[in-house]
Amino acid sequence: MKKFIPRWLARLFSMKGGMPSASMPMPMSAPMLDCESVMRQLWDYLDAELTPERMEEIRMHIEVCKRCYPQYQFERSFLDAVAARGRTHSDPERLRANLLAALRSNGLSEA
Amino acid sequence: MDNDTAFNEGQRGRDHEFLVEALCWLPEVTRFALSLERDEADADDLVQETFLKAYEAWHTYMPGTECRGWLFTICRNTFYKRRQREERHVSCDDPELEALAAVAVHASAQQGGYADLFTRFDLSDAIDASIAALPEAFHEVVILIDVNGQSYESAAALLGVPIGTVRSRLFRARRLLQIALINHARDAGLVRPQPNTGVFGQGSQ
Repeated sequence: MKKFIPRWLARLFSMKGGMPSASMPMPMSAPMLDCESVMRQLWDYLDAELTPERMEEIRMHIEVCKRCYPQYQFERSFLDAVAARGRTHSDPERLRANLLAALRSNGLSEA
Repeated sequence: MDNDTAFNEGQRGRDHEFLVEALCWLPEVTRFALSLERDEADADDLVQETFLKAYEAWHTYMPGTECRGWLFTICRNTFYKRRQREERHVSCDDPELEALAAVAVHASAQQGGYADLFTRFDLSDAIDASIAALPEAFHEVVILIDVNGQSYESAAALLGVPIGTVRSRLFRARRLLQIALINHARDAGLVRPQPNTGVFGQGSQ
């Protein structure tokens, strides 16, 4: 069975430098992108839906911005909590066996 | 080789392809069906009907295309047909504005003492209830993207709407969920809000 990992989490872990940590010092100002631009794209960033270049720009901004970092943490923890809520089946083997039996009765030649 | 033998070998080849390429997505389709149907037995039926339809239509599947998305489409369409439900169309704000609105939710959460709400408390049941209570159009983007890990593009193709619509629905849905969960935390007394903060009324949605 494939292990489910949210796309945004997999993408962020794979990025250079990894995710910013809570202990990271936060300078007063952040370079490059302004905070409003980052906030406009924060969901896209967390969903890993931006270009690699923009992903990197936003990651760098969040790492050093004391305004955006708490928002990023809040949204990330929210998405973590929601992603963990996918229900699992109580008896997947029974479901699979029943499905294969149904497919065979509909003509499936091997299983 | 006679015609019957050739036909049977071709059939076995197609069946093998189906088992390898489609059946490997059974856990994901099951997860998706469980997010659509409240009852597990109904989800079982939905999964079975999805794969039987996929098997019947396997000759129309294009090898190399995303099989999971194809199965999700069949599953979703089957769900709506079984329930004879109409897809509800909702109006949403611009996705950029929805994204900025999240800033206001976070600011209120900070002021109310809820900034670490999602890491400090187990909100599992409240999250399930809040997702279930979302209007259908918002519910399905959360299920597809946040719970099942689909991309915006895959979700848009599956729902038959533009990516911009998916984004605006998703961002709005997340805001509604956050407001519902913060209100739940306040009502449950998980965090004592500061005076005049931390309360989201109907008007804020």
